[in-house]
Amino acid sequence: MASSRIEVLNQGGYRSDGRKQHELRSIAIDLAPQGVADGAATITHGLTTVLVSVFGPREAKLRSQTLHDRATISVEVGVAAFSTGERRKRSKGDKRLLELASTIKATFEPVIQTALYPRSQIDIYLHVLEQDGSLLQTCINGTTLALINAGIPLLDFVCAVSGGVHVASPLLDLNQLEENDVPHLTLALMPKTKKITLVTMETRLHVERFEEIFRLAARAAEVIHQEMRAAIRIKANTLVASMGSTRATVDGTDRDGNHMDED
Amino acid sequence: MATTSLSKAEKSYIQAGLLATPPQRIDGRDLFDFRTVALETGVAPLSNGSARLNIGKDPQDGGGGTGVIAATKLEVENVEEDGTDGGRLVCSVTCSPAAYPHLSPGALDDLQQDMTTILHQTLSHPSLHPANLGILPRKKAWLLNLDVVVLSDAGNVYDALFMAARAALYDTKVPRTRLVEMHSTKIAQKSWNTTDGMDVDQSAPSGLDTRQAPPAQDFDLVDYWDEGEELDGRTRWPVSITLNIVSSSYFLDGNLQEEAAVPLRILLVFSFLDVNAPTVQATRMLGSGEIQLDQIKSLLSDGQKYAWEIFSSLTAKLKDEDVRRTLKDRERFVTRQ
Repeated sequence: MASSRIEVLNQGGYRSDGRKQHELRSIAIDLAPQGVADGAATITHGLTTVLVSVFGPREAKLRSQTLHDRATISVEVGVAAFSTGERRKRSKGDKRLLELASTIKATFEPVIQTALYPRSQIDIYLHVLEQDGSLLQTCINGTTLALINAGIPLLDFVCAVSGGVHVASPLLDLNQLEENDVPHLTLALMPKTKKITLVTMETRLHVERFEEIFRLAARAAEVIHQEMRAAIRIKANTLVASMGSTRATVDGTDRDGNHMDED
Repeated sequence: MATTSLSKAEKSYIQAGLLATPPQRIDGRDLFDFRTVALETGVAPLSNGSARLNIGKDPQDGGGGTGVIAATKLEVENVEEDGTDGGRLVCSVTCSPAAYPHLSPGALDDLQQDMTTILHQTLSHPSLHPANLGILPRKKAWLLNLDVVVLSDAGNVYDALFMAARAALYDTKVPRTRLVEMHSTKIAQKSWNTTDGMDVDQSAPSGLDTRQAPPAQDFDLVDYWDEGEELDGRTRWPVSITLNIVSSSYFLDGNLQEEAAVPLRILLVFSFLDVNAPTVQATRMLGSGEIQLDQIKSLLSDGQKYAWEIFSSLTAKLKDEDVRRTLKDRERFVTRQ
C-alpha cells in the first residue's frame, strides 16, 4: 500500500494529497440518532470515518462491575472489514483494537463527570467505517460529540489532532501515507482549560522537534474545537426550535461563557 | 431469537391489535405496508461495491430504523491453495454491539453467526454464481468477500440484509484483466525457424497427455477509465421477505416489539429472472411456533407477490443509482486535466 517513493512534502510546500503543511482535512459531522442509542455521532476527517454510539448512564449488565461512588465507562471498538485497502477481518479480541479502546477510555475517564452517576455504566461503541490515517484522532473527536449528544456531563470538549514531522517540517492531520512514513503523535486537548488529556507517540522523534509539533497540534486542536462546537450548536438549536421554546437561541444565551452542551 | 424483552400484557396487546378487524398495528401501518426504505450505493470508497440501506428512518431527525452497510471486496486467490476454479463468494455479517445493546458478547456472536449462515448459504449457491470471477483457469480466481455490518436493528433485519447485499453485489465492479503468456526461448527459436519453411513441429501435444496446461501463465490489470466490468448475473441476486405469522394471518416488516410478540416468522428468499420465472432460493422458519401445511402454500404464493414488488422497486432504484454514479464518473473523466 505504501509505495516507498511518494514525496511527503514537495518543494512547493504541498503534501501528497495537495494540502499545505498545516492544513487539516475536511471535517464532516453528523449528529443524527442511530437506532436506540442515547447519543450518536458520525465524524469524518478526510477519508477516515467513525460512527460512535453512546448508551447510558444505565444499569450495568454485571452487578459486580459497578462502582459505588461513580459510573464505569466501557469502550468497544469494531472495525469494518472493508474499511482498509487490504481486506482484513479483525476479531473483537484483537490487541490493536483493545489498545485503541483502552486509550480512548483513559482519555475520557477524567473528563466525564462519572461521580454524578454512582453504580451505573456508560457504554461507548465505536465502529470504524473507513480508514485513512489519524484513526485515534477521529475516534476521540467522535466520542466527544456522541457523549455531548447523549447529554452526558463533560468537564469540557476533548479535541484530538495528529501531527508528524517530515525532516524538519511539522505536518498536521496525517493521512495513511504520511502516517506510514513520518514520526507522528496524537494529542487530545481540553480547549477551555488548555489541559492535555492524551499524548501518544509510537515512533521516535527528536526531542528538539517535539515542542514545535506539540504547540502546533495544540493550536490545531482549538481549530477542530470550533468545528465541533459549531456542529453541536446547530444540533442544539434545532432541538430548541422543535421544542417550540420562546427562549433565546443557543447563540444568544451562550455569551456568558457557559456551554449549553451539558443539558 | 427475541432480542427485545416484552411483557405478557404488551404481547397480548400487540397480538390482539393484529387480529382485530380492521387490524391495527402500533405505528398505524396496514398489515402489508413496509416502512420507508432508503438506499445509497457507493458509500465505501475502498471497496469494489457497496451500499447503505435503512428501513424505517425517522424523516424528522434522520434517526432510528434498521441500518445496514454492505460492501464487497475482491481478492486474487490461487486456485491450487485454497480457492476454487471460477472464483467463490464468501459472506459475513457483523453486528455492531450498538444495534443490540442488551445482548452479551457471546449472544451477539451467535446472532451474527446465524445471519452469516443464512446469507452465505443462500448467496453462494451455484445457481447464483457469477461467471466472471475466474481469471486464469485452474490457476487464479477472484475471491469475492461480502461483508455486511448491522449498525442498528429496529426490526426486519433479514430483509434489510438481503436488500443491502443485493445492492452491494449489483454495484460491484470486477477489475478488467488480460492474460499474459510467456514464451520460452525454445519456442521463440522455433517460430523463427518456421520462416524458413524448414520446421517440423516436434512438440505437438501427446495424445496421452490429458492435463494440458493452459497457455496463459499470468495476468495483468487493464488500465481503463472505469473501475471494471460489472459482476455477471447481477440482476439475479435474490431478495427476502419475512412473513410474521399470528395464528391465521400474517404481516410484513415487523418492528422489534411486533417481532417479539409473534411466535413464528417465515423467511422466504426469491430470485426472479422475470415476474413469471421466480425461484425460491431459501426458506427459514424463525421462532418456536408451528404452522399447517396448507397454510404454507398460500403463504408462499403471497410471499412471491410481495418479493416481486420489493425486487422490482429495488432494481429500479439500483438502476437510478447506477446512472447517477456512472454519469458522475464520466463527467469527472471528461473534465480531468
